[in-house]
Amino acid sequence: MASDSHHPQHPSISQYWKIAGLLAVLTAIEVSLFYIDDALELGALNVAMLLILAALKFVIVVGWYMHLRFERPMLNRFFAAGFILALGLYGVVLAAMGIVAIRGS
Amino acid sequence: MAEAVHPEAHGHAEHESTGVDSRKLGMWLFLSSEFLFFGALITNYLLYSNRTGFNIYPREVYDIPFTSVSSFVLLMSSLTMVLAHNAVARDDQPQARTWLFATAALGSVFLAGQVFEFTEFIVHYDMKLTTNPVASAFYVLTGFHGLHVAIGVFMLLSLWGISRFKGRLSEEKGMNVEMVGLYWHFVDIIWIVIFTVVYLIDAARV
Repeated sequence: MASDSHHPQHPSISQYWKIAGLLAVLTAIEVSLFYIDDALELGALNVAMLLILAALKFVIVVGWYMHLRFERPMLNRFFAAGFILALGLYGVVLAAMGIVAIRGS
Repeated sequence: MAEAVHPEAHGHAEHESTGVDSRKLGMWLFLSSEFLFFGALITNYLLYSNRTGFNIYPREVYDIPFTSVSSFVLLMSSLTMVLAHNAVARDDQPQARTWLFATAALGSVFLAGQVFEFTEFIVHYDMKLTTNPVASAFYVLTGFHGLHVAIGVFMLLSLWGISRFKGRLSEEKGMNVEMVGLYWHFVDIIWIVIFTVVYLIDAARV
């Protein structure tokens, strides 16, 4: 994060508000999906859609509010390294214990 | 050691071989390592949540509408945080103080919600920390996240206090606001994952 005066490429105040609106809409869709699933029993499709929406919110906050997309590539790599390491490590654990398969079925 | 001045310097000397302020680099590395910490806690919860035979599961007692509102509050605190930093950058001290305080207030509302949720689970459903492993995993995961939020609120109020009683938040101290901001947004993204994986997806199985 850094100042707009120093970083004209950073979002403006009005864009920050619009991003917040988008995050709110995505959260509303997430919660709606939860209730829709109650009625339609979408199962794995519901799980996939919820994960995609969470990933979208994650990327928006990291990219625009934390300004990672405007930062040097080195910071991007450091941050991605921790995330990918955690995802890989715990993904393997969950797969080995059969959790991922259970959730995907 | 080669010296490079980062073009994003906020009016303070920034002589680092990496070209990035050491505090900023350290914060990003710290946040990166936090993925492993919270990843372990989330994995632990998922492993126990899939075991059968427990007398009660957190997913059976979730109040999704209530937690959705809490999640929304925390999400909006990221907006107030970025507006606070923007105000510091523009040297708009009153606005900066207002947004810092608003962020701390929203964080406190989230924490109050968590305390209420825990109390409900313990009093009405008799689901305590020691009831069973899945309950323990839930309380440890969400409790540690709550602790991170509480630390964030403390840092925000400290910045507000510095600005209010010790003088203005200068460009030099803008980096401090930036550090706290990065930490705060990270706490938010961790909750985005917890809310989806631990609450919405797990509760959908009931």
